[in-house]
Order: sequence, then C-alpha cells, then structure tokens
Amino acid sequence: MSENTLPHHESPSVSVIDDSVRLPVIILFGNAIHWLVVATLLSLVLSIKLVAPGFLGGISFLTYGRLAPMARDLMLYGWASQAALAAGIWLMARLCGRPLGGVLHSTLIISATVLWNLAVLLGTLAILAGYSTGVEWLEYPNWASAMLFLSFLLIGIWVVLLFDHRSTGPAVAAQWYLIAAFCSFPWVYGTANLLLTWKPIQASAQGPIHSWYCGSLLALWLLPVALASLYTLIPNHLGCQIHRRNLATLGFWLLLLFGGWNGMDRLIGGPVPAWMTSAGVVAGVLFLIPVAIICMNLLGMLGNRREPTSYGPAFRFLVMGVYTLLTVGVLGALLAWPGISGALRFTGATEAKTQLWVLGSVSLPLFGVLYEALPLLLKRDCWSTGLSSLHYSLTLTGIWLLFGLLVSGGLFTGLALGDPTVSFLNITSYSYPFHFMECAAQLVLVAAALVLAVNVVRALAADYLFPKR
Amino acid sequence: MHRLPTLLSGIFLVFLISWFGLVAYPAIHLGRLSPVADADSGGTLPQVYGGLAVAGQRVYATEGCVSCHSQQVRQTSITRTDIERGWGVRPSVARDYLRDSVAFLGSRRLGQDLSNVGIRRPDSKWHYIHLYNPSSVCEGSLMPSYRHLFILRKIQGQRSAEALDLSGPDAPREGYEVVPTDEAKNLVAYLVALRHDYPLPEAGPVKGNTAAAK
Repeated sequence: MSENTLPHHESPSVSVIDDSVRLPVIILFGNAIHWLVVATLLSLVLSIKLVAPGFLGGISFLTYGRLAPMARDLMLYGWASQAALAAGIWLMARLCGRPLGGVLHSTLIISATVLWNLAVLLGTLAILAGYSTGVEWLEYPNWASAMLFLSFLLIGIWVVLLFDHRSTGPAVAAQWYLIAAFCSFPWVYGTANLLLTWKPIQASAQGPIHSWYCGSLLALWLLPVALASLYTLIPNHLGCQIHRRNLATLGFWLLLLFGGWNGMDRLIGGPVPAWMTSAGVVAGVLFLIPVAIICMNLLGMLGNRREPTSYGPAFRFLVMGVYTLLTVGVLGALLAWPGISGALRFTGATEAKTQLWVLGSVSLPLFGVLYEALPLLLKRDCWSTGLSSLHYSLTLTGIWLLFGLLVSGGLFTGLALGDPTVSFLNITSYSYPFHFMECAAQLVLVAAALVLAVNVVRALAADYLFPKR
Repeated sequence: MHRLPTLLSGIFLVFLISWFGLVAYPAIHLGRLSPVADADSGGTLPQVYGGLAVAGQRVYATEGCVSCHSQQVRQTSITRTDIERGWGVRPSVARDYLRDSVAFLGSRRLGQDLSNVGIRRPDSKWHYIHLYNPSSVCEGSLMPSYRHLFILRKIQGQRSAEALDLSGPDAPREGYEVVPTDEAKNLVAYLVALRHDYPLPEAGPVKGNTAAAK
C-alpha cells in the first residue's frame, strides 16, 4: 500500500471501514444533492428575474432580495459544506485505516446530519418569511446558525478523532488539509456569527470581519476539503505517489497563510484603513502562489497521461477541478489589481470568481469523491455510464458558460460604468443579453443537478429497480 | 507534523495571523470609533437615525436589498467612478457606519449604490412610487415591485393623505387607494436618511454634489 493513496479495497479492514461510514456518508451526500437541485432551481429563477423583473412578481417571499440569499446559502451550507462533510469522513476514515467505532458513532453522526439539514431547511424558510439577518452569507437567524454550528461540531469531531487514532504511518498531505478544514469551519463560522449576527459588533468594524469570513469560508474550509480529495484520489487513480512532497507542504502552509486574507478583495477602496486596501491587493495577488504550486503539483502527477476519459467519471471531475482552481487563482489575482478592482468590483466579474470557486474548484472534486466512494461503499458497480457522462458534460458546459458570461458581462458593465455620461439604466439595458444567456447556463446547471440526482437514486435503488435473476 | 497536537498548533498559529489582522484589529480600532462633534448643529456626526429609520434598517435587511445595492463610495485612489457618477461627494469611511446595526457594504451592484440616496432622492413620495412599481419611474429598471409593502383599500370618507399618486395601469380603481404599510414607511425613512456627505476628520474635503446621479 502506498503511503499517499487509499488502501486497496480488497484488503479486509477496508471493507470494515467502509461498512462503518457507509450510512453517514450516503445520507450526507444524498441530502447535499437534493439541496444542490433546489439551489440550482432557485438560481435559474433568479436569472430569469434579471431578464423579466415581473416574473413571479408581487409575492413577498419570491422577490429577488429574498431568493438570492436563499440560493447562495443553500449552495454553501446545503450542498457544498454537507458534501464536504461527507467527503471528509470517508477520506479520513480510509486514510487513517480506522473504522468509526460502532453503531453508536455513526448514529451520532446521522443525528447531527438531521440537525444540520433541519437548520438549513428552517434557516431557508426563515429568509423566505422575512427573518433574514441581512448579513451576506450569514442570513440564517441566530437559532438556525447556532444549530448549524453545533451540528458541525458533532460531525467534525469524528474526523479529528479518526486522525488522532489512525493506524497508518506518518500524516499525508490530504490529512493535513482535512484537519485544517475541520478546525477552520468552527473558528470562522463561530467568530463571524458571534461578531456579526449573535452579538453584533459596532457596524464600523463589520466590513473587514465579514470579508474575512467570506474569504475564509471558501479558502480555509471548502477548498482544503476539495484539495484533500484531489491529493488522495488523483495519485490513487494514477497508482503513483505525490510528486515533490516538499511542494505539497509549501502549498499547504501558504494556502493557510494567505487564505484568511483572500476575502479582502471585497474591501479594496472600501471604508477601511488604507493598509487594509493594500493588504487586499497583496493578498489577492499572493493567493495565486499557493494555488499555482498546488495545481502544478497535482497536474505534474498526470505526466503524459492526459487522457482523462479513460479513467472514469471520478477522475474527469477531479482533473477539471484542478483547472477551475487555477482559473479562480488567476482571476482572483487580476481582480485584486487596483485599477481592475476599481472597474470590475461589484460587477459580474467578481461574481464569476465566487461562482467558479463554489461550482468548480469545490464542487467538481466533491463530485469526484462521490463517484469514487459510492461504488466502494455499496460494494458494487452502481453508476450508469451514460448518466455519469451526461452529468459531466452538462456540469462543465453550465459552469464555463456561466463563468464566461459573468466575466464578459462584468467587463462590459465595468467599462461602461467608468464613463459617467452613460446612464446606469442604459448600462442595465446593455447587460440584458448577458443576463438572458445566463438563464441558459443556469438551465444547463439545473439539468446537470437533476441528472446527478437521478444517477444517485438509480445507484442506490438498483437492487430494487433492476433485480438480479 | 505527524502528531495531532503539533499539526493543530501549526494550523492555529497560521490562522491567528489573519484573525489578528481582520478580526481583532478592526474590533479594537474600528469597533471603538465614536461620533465627532458637529460645530454647526451642536449635535454629533454622523447624525443618529430617527426611530422610523432604525426600524427601516430591519426591513432593508429582511428584504435582502443588499443583494443588489451596495452602500459604499470607494476611495479615489482606487476609482473615481463612484463620485463621478454622483453616488457620493466623498469616499465612505468606517465612521460613517456608526449608526447602522449592520454595515450593508454589498458585493454586487445590480442596482445603484445607496450610500447617499437620501441626498439624491430626498422625496419620500418618489420612493413609495418607486417601490410600488420601479419601472414606472425608472424605465428599464431591473428592480422588482415591492407591492407587498403596500395596502390596496377602499377609501373611507376622505382619501388618505398617505395614498400614492399612481397613474396608468398602476392606478387603483375608483373608490380605492394604495397606502404604504408601516414597513414601507420605515424603509423609506431609512432610505431618505442615508447620506455620507458631512465632514469627518478622516474623510477629506467634501466637494461636488450628488443631486444628479447618472
């Protein structure tokens, strides 16, 4: 068994490990996918509303202002964070060669999962009913965010305990990333809620704290789990070791170092001390360094084997995850440049970075884990090849189309905003074609999520749907 | 780096750097800013909101206005666009947000910046009609109607002084009137109170005007 790769699933202990985490991982992934479907549907409605503001109009709980935070939070906490929890548990159990300790432990995780989904559901309904806190990405009312926080602790503690009781040798890169991620979420979510929603600090100090939260949630929680998936599964697929381990180490520490500052690009030129604007510029540019190191490290392993189609659906998602991460890093460095930030911040271009981050560099590796894990957990080949390929094609089409439209629409809007003789309403009408095409991109993403959902339901229910004679 | 305590300590120390810079430092330095004395009125700057405007902030939060509207005029070292467009007369500074419960800085401008909307649009009546049907006063606007903040009711005796002067397809039928709910009144009170135009020691000189936003 290679140190950097998953144990082969023929070895007896692996079967025990998979049995112990099967139910929690499948329940977490299942719930995550159903929220993904809802979130993409809501995003489609939102994009239609930008073309036809009267669409579903006049109904308080269907206004853009309420649906937008609902969709964003469902994507972050319903889908991405929950899928990251699932991936984290499975990867850590496998990497540590430890099963969860019996039925009690998995029951605890499942109970915490129920709590998590209850928090997401009730938080979403609360936004719908007009009880949003108004803090972006933290719109859930205090009781819902407290439930989410508690539920994370109840699930995350097992990942840390598995690491502490591992039966394998020295820790590998993927394990560092998982430990960092599972420690960072309680820290950033707890701090941000405490200072912004539970017991809000004076509003003059909220800007930097909020940007710290947004940057850290993506760079210190979701991205490290995605990277742990990449660092485990890519070498595993290729049957090789991690190339240049010192690069992996350097990338890890630099990511943690710059990740927390990464959100500062939201405040370049904003109402903060001048040094924070400079820090935002520097951090945005420097963040490209760990991203580039990590991507080169991962892509370096591919060597001459650049034909991902021959490696099945999981591998294709993983490799594309690396490319989207590289794009996010480059776009982030560009957008942090003062002149560019001045023109493009608040336009679709900044939205494009966030969308590609969540839908691409985080979601694609998590899809990879799902495609890899489910057959191992179910101990049978469960995926429909056709549906898996369709999911991959639709996802990629949707993501890149949306990204291209947001960036080009953002460039267009940004340049037009720079000319004060062009009225704001004029700019709005110019951006109509971009918004119109965004509907098409969102529709493709809805289709992708639905295909994934069908594929998963089919995989889980195969024994009932297609009984063996 | 292979033992949990060592790894955790390393991670903790690295996390601490950004936490100090972006959480502890702002909490200590920006979180303790206080209003400055206003020599002209004898009060303080920024002026405190009235009761309706304070309640209006909640409506602004729950309706998710921040999804499309920012509230910050950026520093001129980064861009002059915000001021040239008439969205403000000077860049916003941290002290401007002292009176807010949430700093609605915003991340996307699908609509215009609102940090000085109270100067651009001081007329409450305009805001009511705009909220009721944005495209009736701003043709081509992406903003949805906020009709649910208004009541259509039968006129009892005399027409209410608060009734909206709606025309065209929005006009209520004979004998009926459209009046704002308390939520609409609070929200509009908040919007017309939004302004970052008073002099502050750290904000630099105030020049230009925002009367004609483009």
